[in-house]
Amino acid sequence: MQEIRRILLTGGGTAGHVNPALAIGSALDSGKTRFLFVGVRGRIEEQVVPREGMPIKYVRASGFPGTLSPALLPFLANLSIGILQSLWILYRFRPDVIVGTGGYVSAPIVMAAAVLRKLRLSHARVFIHEQNAVPGKLNQLMGRFADRILVTFPETLSFFPANGALAGYPLRRRIAAVGREEALKKIDFPIPEHRKVVLVFGGSQGSRTINRALVDALRHLLPFRDRLFIVHGTGLMKSRQYDASADTEARVRRLYEGEELGQIESFYLHRPYFYNIENLYAVSDLVIARAGAGSLNEISAMGLPALIIPKSNLPGNHQVMNARSMERAGGAEILYEQIAPVDGRLDEWLDGKALAEAIASLALDDDRLERLRHRSREFLNRDALGRIARIIRAEDAGETEAAPGAPLPGTGPEEERLPGNRALLLLLEKAERSHPHLYNPETVVGRPQDLEFYRNRASALLIHPSWPERNLGVKLLGLLHAREKAPALVTLLRERKQASLLKRCLGGDFEQVGFIRRNIVTALVRMDALDEGIEAALLEALGDPYYEVQAEAARAAAHFGSRLPSRERFVCALLENLKDRNLDVSTAAAEALGVIGGERDALPALLKLWDTRFWKMRAAALRGLYLLVERGEVSDPKALETEIPRFILTSTDFRPHFEIKSTYRRLMESLSRTKEKGLRP
Amino acid sequence: MIYLLGKYLHPNFEPFSFLRLVEYISARAIGAALTAIILTLALTPLVIRYLHRRGMVDQWRNTGVSSAFDKAGTPAMGGAIVAGCVLVSCLLWCNMSNLYLLAVLAGMVWFGGIGLVDDIAKTKARSGDGGMSETKKLLLQATFAAGLALFLASPWSPLPAGHAGAFYVPFVKAPLFASLWLYLPIVFFFVVVVGNAVNIADGMDGLAIVPSVFAIGVLGFFGYLLGNAIWARYLNYPFYPGTGELAVFASAFAGAGIGFLWFNAYPAQIFMGDTGSMAIGGSIAVLSVMLKQEALFLILGGLFVAEAATSQIQDKIGIRWLGRRIFMRAPLHHAMQHNGLAETKVVIRLWIVSGILALAALATLKLR
Repeated sequence: MQEIRRILLTGGGTAGHVNPALAIGSALDSGKTRFLFVGVRGRIEEQVVPREGMPIKYVRASGFPGTLSPALLPFLANLSIGILQSLWILYRFRPDVIVGTGGYVSAPIVMAAAVLRKLRLSHARVFIHEQNAVPGKLNQLMGRFADRILVTFPETLSFFPANGALAGYPLRRRIAAVGREEALKKIDFPIPEHRKVVLVFGGSQGSRTINRALVDALRHLLPFRDRLFIVHGTGLMKSRQYDASADTEARVRRLYEGEELGQIESFYLHRPYFYNIENLYAVSDLVIARAGAGSLNEISAMGLPALIIPKSNLPGNHQVMNARSMERAGGAEILYEQIAPVDGRLDEWLDGKALAEAIASLALDDDRLERLRHRSREFLNRDALGRIARIIRAEDAGETEAAPGAPLPGTGPEEERLPGNRALLLLLEKAERSHPHLYNPETVVGRPQDLEFYRNRASALLIHPSWPERNLGVKLLGLLHAREKAPALVTLLRERKQASLLKRCLGGDFEQVGFIRRNIVTALVRMDALDEGIEAALLEALGDPYYEVQAEAARAAAHFGSRLPSRERFVCALLENLKDRNLDVSTAAAEALGVIGGERDALPALLKLWDTRFWKMRAAALRGLYLLVERGEVSDPKALETEIPRFILTSTDFRPHFEIKSTYRRLMESLSRTKEKGLRP
Repeated sequence: MIYLLGKYLHPNFEPFSFLRLVEYISARAIGAALTAIILTLALTPLVIRYLHRRGMVDQWRNTGVSSAFDKAGTPAMGGAIVAGCVLVSCLLWCNMSNLYLLAVLAGMVWFGGIGLVDDIAKTKARSGDGGMSETKKLLLQATFAAGLALFLASPWSPLPAGHAGAFYVPFVKAPLFASLWLYLPIVFFFVVVVGNAVNIADGMDGLAIVPSVFAIGVLGFFGYLLGNAIWARYLNYPFYPGTGELAVFASAFAGAGIGFLWFNAYPAQIFMGDTGSMAIGGSIAVLSVMLKQEALFLILGGLFVAEAATSQIQDKIGIRWLGRRIFMRAPLHHAMQHNGLAETKVVIRLWIVSGILALAALATLKLR
């Protein structure tokens, strides 16, 4: 196997892309190898790469906007310039191997290399390493130009059926396995004996959601203060909106005082950043972290049990998918962020109590910790770098067992891909349509972890800028019976931010458009959720400016019926809606009055409708009256018996009955029954 | 063919002197109508059984209306019978060298052909949504519209010299303007829009065919008057020699339409399908353009305009953009049904409305 002489590394934007590139570079280094790194000016590679003593050149590139939007133009302009620059760089450097580690930074080089290959001006082999479980859109595209896509997670192979290869994550520095005793000496703060040590960090910059939730969680962890010790890295983030360290300190001071503060300080410690994290790893019993590919693999390398809090709303939802990969392997448990009302607006949020419960139940359960520790250790492919180097060398020398482009054998099991949001909606709707009474999302979805994942994925849509996506999220939450998300839905329903003037002129009203509000009411009924907030929102919805919301709210009132504590106010609002000119609103109100109304209020109002012009209204009134009678709300049936025949029964509509079609159906049903009987022994 | 035969026989052979009747448009119009009606009445039952045997029946599509389910399994493509019978009847009774007529027949066949391909694709895909793509349809229609506009501007146009760019509106004697640059784009859009308008109205048994017969009948009457020097002068219209042939076409269409209604009346045994609605749309569009009565369509085809407008506003502005319904249901006939009218009642009421609109359109002949 000959040595590779010239290697071009590209990738960057964040440390998560630069470090794997450098790691692969060092694995391929034979001492005589020449390297060139190509990155983007002003990003992290500008500092890191020269420090490693590697020459670096810069190209123009910018992030892929993902959809058709005006932002596409600068992207394409930058990409074109970047490709021209890359052509020049490739022409001068003449690499044998190109390794891209993703991010938009590597796009120009990979595309330029593809152009040169087409023109037979370059022989360079192109490899891309994908760190995350879900590749970015740009990486998916570049997969077509590369000889081989090296992936970290087996789930990712389905994105690259032609040329994917399972490799694992190229961890840069081998984190020294420090002994516990030795580590304890090196740590500059005392860790009490016989406590479970929980290490919490949200990446080098820190995570506001995790930091705030952890401080909230401390109260619920107080009873366990003799058995836990929590070490919290808040992160280095210091921007105008958020200063991680100061905000955490202030939150602790605000929430706790006096004796409580002293108790908390006995088992909780926070620092902006830990420079020798391997020492802390060595003494930790549980790690709580974000789901970046780097963090997960570091945790796995140390063989630590983890509670993963993936960041939602990232491209391709990749942190969640990373976390699920480790969870499936049994090395971690997931705690999802919520989309919930924060100061009256929906935002990402993590409940302190839920976090506390997760910490307490996990950290104090030795069996579970042991199981997780065992599986966590197995999760990481420890030979990832070696494997990557072998694949690249073999392909460069043309020694692959498989033809170039064909999948490598033995690349691991391929997990079936989970349905996306839209496919899931169709699935659930179909299930509900076929068995409306037996419908239960748990039986449709199967695995409880999947159900939780779907619920969280759907709720992330609630803060999407485009309304059809938010609407999709609302529908999914209803069908998934995500009761815990009801407060978020109520917040959305009551939000009264106006739509643009143009839309209002044409009949629009609020940012949360009519369909969203209608579907929220439907969803609340579907999940059968009722509390004070929901009741108030439903009452408000009865007076919504959009008629479908009013009608749906009336149906919701009928659904909850006697469970509504403020029945009187609902009856009042429904009596108002009964006079509405819109038939959808008034008929729904009439039926709802039959369910929650009484003899004194609903009965006379419904009787008055005996001669209204529209038969649908009269029919609804009769249905309402029927419900009142059935509920035993009528004290004088005799009087009613003389009143009701006044109703005009003339109708302008009827249901056609097709004799031949019903006969056909009877025949087919009989046939299928016979068939079933015949199958029985 | 009967036209040519009669023309040849009656001056030359004494026993055939009665065939001078073919010189009269009225006589040929009656002949064409009777031929078309007899043909449709005779052929449709055969076609219905044929389509059932081939399994080429309408596919279920979720329109949100409960009755739609019961209609699955009714054959579509009845429009092919209508268009075919009109074509045969015209071959027999019309002067096939008349360019006005040829333009209208071309419109009917082109648009009907697009519809036919679409219908066949839908039955093959076994889904009401699996037809030809919207863009492809529109491109094919636009091709014809552009061709027609070019034809009108070319030296082969049958219109008298200097009339090509004139644009008339109802109730006004003089043309609004006479400029090819303004007129031809109008023709282009008119043909594309009207070509599709009937399609949307074709949502209930018998709903599209009767207003179409009214509209084409009125346009045929216009053709008869504009092609007659005395009537044209009396009504103060420009005299377009040859448009009388369109009256024969119109009566052939009326005959075929009534023959089709025989089977299409509620509950329908056959639907016209996209073949029919597009063939009719194309015919109305080209007829209006050749007679310079484009603006009249707003009155004459008011029903089609209302159906198309409600459906487009609801879908494009309301549902896709504003995130709400603007009408309780759309198009118009579904809105009426939603408010509690039976399908039969909706259809008959809309027939009455289209009849009134046709009379109003006729009134514009004199009210100028």
